[in-house]
Amino acid sequence: MLKRFILIRGIEGLMVLLLAAIPLMINNGFMLGLLTLLAIYGILLIGLDITVGYLGLINLAQAAFLGLGAYAAGLTVTHFGFGMLSALAVSALLGLVMGGLLAFPSLRLEGPQFALATLSFSALSATILNEWESLTQGAQGLQLVRPPLFGLVLDAKGFYWLCLCMLGLVWISMKNLLFSQWGRAFEALRDSPIATDAMGIGTYRHKVTAFALGSGLGGLAGGLYAFNFEYLQPSVFVYELMVILLLGVVMGGRKSLWGAFVGAILIVLLPNLLSNRLLFQIFSAIGFLSALGAGGLALYQKRTKPFQGVAPMIAMGLLVVGSLTVQNTEDWRKAIFALMLFSVVVGLPEGLMGFAATFLSKIFKIEPLPLATPSDLEQVLVKRDVDGGPLLQLQDLKCYFGGIKAVDGVSLTISSGTIHGLIGPNGSGKSTLVNVVSGLYSPTGGSILFQGKPLVRGSLFDVARQGISRTFQNLQLFSELSALDNVMVAMKGWYRSSLPLVLMGLAKKDEKRAEADALALLEMVGLADQARIPAKDLPYGAQRFLEIARAVARRPTFLILDEPAAGLAHPDVMALLGIIRRIHGRGITIILIEHHMDVVAGLCDMVTVLDGGKVIAEGLPDVIKRNPLVIEAYLGKGSGTASPEAVSLATPSPVPA
Amino acid sequence: MNQALMQMTVSGALMGLVYALVAYGFQLTYATSKSINFGQGELVMVSAFFSLTLTDLGLPYYLMIPGGLLFGVVAGLFVERAGVRLALEQKSEGWILMTIILGLFGFSAAENIWGRDDRPFPTPISSDPIQLFGISITPLEISVAVGVFMIMAVIELFKRKTLLGKAFEAVSADRDAAELMGISATRTIMLSYGLSGLVAALAGILISPITTVGPTMASALVLKAFSVAVVAGLESGFGVVIVGLFLGSLESLTSYYVGSGWREAPGLVLLILALAVRPTGIFGKGVIRKV
Repeated sequence: MLKRFILIRGIEGLMVLLLAAIPLMINNGFMLGLLTLLAIYGILLIGLDITVGYLGLINLAQAAFLGLGAYAAGLTVTHFGFGMLSALAVSALLGLVMGGLLAFPSLRLEGPQFALATLSFSALSATILNEWESLTQGAQGLQLVRPPLFGLVLDAKGFYWLCLCMLGLVWISMKNLLFSQWGRAFEALRDSPIATDAMGIGTYRHKVTAFALGSGLGGLAGGLYAFNFEYLQPSVFVYELMVILLLGVVMGGRKSLWGAFVGAILIVLLPNLLSNRLLFQIFSAIGFLSALGAGGLALYQKRTKPFQGVAPMIAMGLLVVGSLTVQNTEDWRKAIFALMLFSVVVGLPEGLMGFAATFLSKIFKIEPLPLATPSDLEQVLVKRDVDGGPLLQLQDLKCYFGGIKAVDGVSLTISSGTIHGLIGPNGSGKSTLVNVVSGLYSPTGGSILFQGKPLVRGSLFDVARQGISRTFQNLQLFSELSALDNVMVAMKGWYRSSLPLVLMGLAKKDEKRAEADALALLEMVGLADQARIPAKDLPYGAQRFLEIARAVARRPTFLILDEPAAGLAHPDVMALLGIIRRIHGRGITIILIEHHMDVVAGLCDMVTVLDGGKVIAEGLPDVIKRNPLVIEAYLGKGSGTASPEAVSLATPSPVPA
Repeated sequence: MNQALMQMTVSGALMGLVYALVAYGFQLTYATSKSINFGQGELVMVSAFFSLTLTDLGLPYYLMIPGGLLFGVVAGLFVERAGVRLALEQKSEGWILMTIILGLFGFSAAENIWGRDDRPFPTPISSDPIQLFGISITPLEISVAVGVFMIMAVIELFKRKTLLGKAFEAVSADRDAAELMGISATRTIMLSYGLSGLVAALAGILISPITTVGPTMASALVLKAFSVAVVAGLESGFGVVIVGLFLGSLESLTSYYVGSGWREAPGLVLLILALAVRPTGIFGKGVIRKV
């Protein structure tokens, strides 16, 4: 615990002191300029890392936000006589708002559209800065004077310390944010946007928020940039700068504040590196040798694909050849960036800090913080009173895909406090039915009443907010997150602290309580001792149970279990029965889609059988098993056998994909 | 109708066909792999420079064309191998960054090999205007339209009539099912990148005599092609032609009436607007999420 504190907090503190002290020790204007730029780029890259690292999206607009922020600061100061802090606030706000406006349309689709929209935005803002000459003075450039800070005129040193303070503030608040329920949600939605929606965390609005936040930091950095150089030109904030920024984030290491800082150091040093020929030759030789060494070793140990090992060697080899033959390296600047970026993306995708982090944590063996004591399950899942009245009522529900009538006029009532089984042969419309109820698909027709009121249609997120939670037939876990984090993501709706409190780091209590509650749920499904293991590394059965724990963490009124026993071995099926009974015991109404007849027979109060999108039978499990229509649907006509065993044998669970 | 307006509309629309052709190249690779080459503009530009060099070496125009097209195919295949395949294997969107990087490299190489200045691109096709319904139009402009429609028709026929083309369609429709039928998705994706490179090279050869060749033509072309592709949707070949014609004329009118510095703006605004109003594009299909 102490070691952890010293190593993590201590190094951060030491770095700040060192950075702050350098200008006192060395009186060098050039050096001071580089340090100021380092602090500014640090803020900019932390902002960029939110989208590129945490959301996993390629963002090509950060250079544009830097430019917009810079011009906003410059113009408010020259036109309206704003002070330093108010001008910076305008810059950050402009970035935030423009970021939100850009993200709003462009994040609706997954795919290249987002990157294209950010690219267009950059080009558009460059056009505006260039062409709106009456405001920005176009290509001629905008001259400004650094305004005073609370009446205090800052010299270069003073301004550097201001930038450093800003970086420190950004660092601390981002750290608080990223290690909170928000940061967890950002990571989760990259793994499975569908599941985050189903957990009542609006994937879309979280993405927009995150992007706007990163853009706001871009704007803030822009404001500082303007006051640093006191002269602005549109041609600075272009595509090339964008590529350099991406180089910084990727090379420094994604999803890491330290990575962004290392990236900023690289970016600041890069121009100097290129202007000194000998330095550049040494640098490219080191790059080539490390590509050769690391790639060769990885290939020898067969840890990597041939392409990943060889391609960086070729790229770095080209760099060496270039450094020896090319006369003017400045002319080849872009190609040099391209080769470096290529080698890093292919050969060192986790970046320098990602590499260093695994290395350092091996040396120092930093223990994770101890887990909280699990809460009492009775308090986590407060028992709900059930009245046995209708909870979910479907009237003539239809869902067509083109000519396919997947659900064709289903009417069904589920009483509160029951476990309702939904069975039927493959392709009978079970999954489509629950996908319609849970909001993944919009129904073609019919009505859905939940607690007597019409249920929102066609939005996983809105349905989840109504108290309906679900699991997925094909697992939709947040595979990179630990089991504990998977459950804690779903508890986001239960946090009380607002975003400003989180940013200030005043929400730790909330976090501890959520952790204790989540552990209680993991205990319920028998995973308490695997809380720290990433979901993707859990055995298959445990993954199924984890998904149930996550769905229950929403504390739903109504729980949809979509084939929870699919692919489970017999002992796991037994454990599953126990888990479902315990959840049911807390007053949660459950709809259970299942193929295993014994699971259905052992658990359900009522069973509905679907075939061809229609209800063909409904009743108590024992009665259903003997219903000739049901047997016919499963086994076909005239098969003669009518035993329940035959039914369950004829429909083996599908092998999980 | 105003003469200048008509004239601007028509010559802009002809330029728009070239944007449509580049956008069509995006559709080819998007169909098979859901990826596009962000460095396509650079590919167009480098192919055009290469073709210019062939001409400088004394190759007659009609022999230069196959040479330039071949270069485009090879460049497209290189992009697939170096920039796209690994990311697709990892099921990540890393191809966006990788193709940007390759484009940047191509840009820098072109700057240094062929210079930063715009250079004229010789052609035997006349650029003396002829009058058609009161609008002057050059045979050169007509050749652009003919070239665009011809290559699109050939590729569409190829997709529909040949076995290889049907494999292409199969992978586009359902990659997994196609693989189960013994079609190699990797090879089909290679094919699509090769075709996309071919289309890009042709776009470069067609447009260069009108606009001249220079490194900056890359970003000018590709931004508009992106707009066309997003506004039309990444699925419809017919859609890109319509949107290309529209955007081309809109742009030429903007530059005439507002100022040439703003000529890029309508395409960029349209792209963002299209995402707001209809994210899958005007001619695009809705997506069904499967779980």
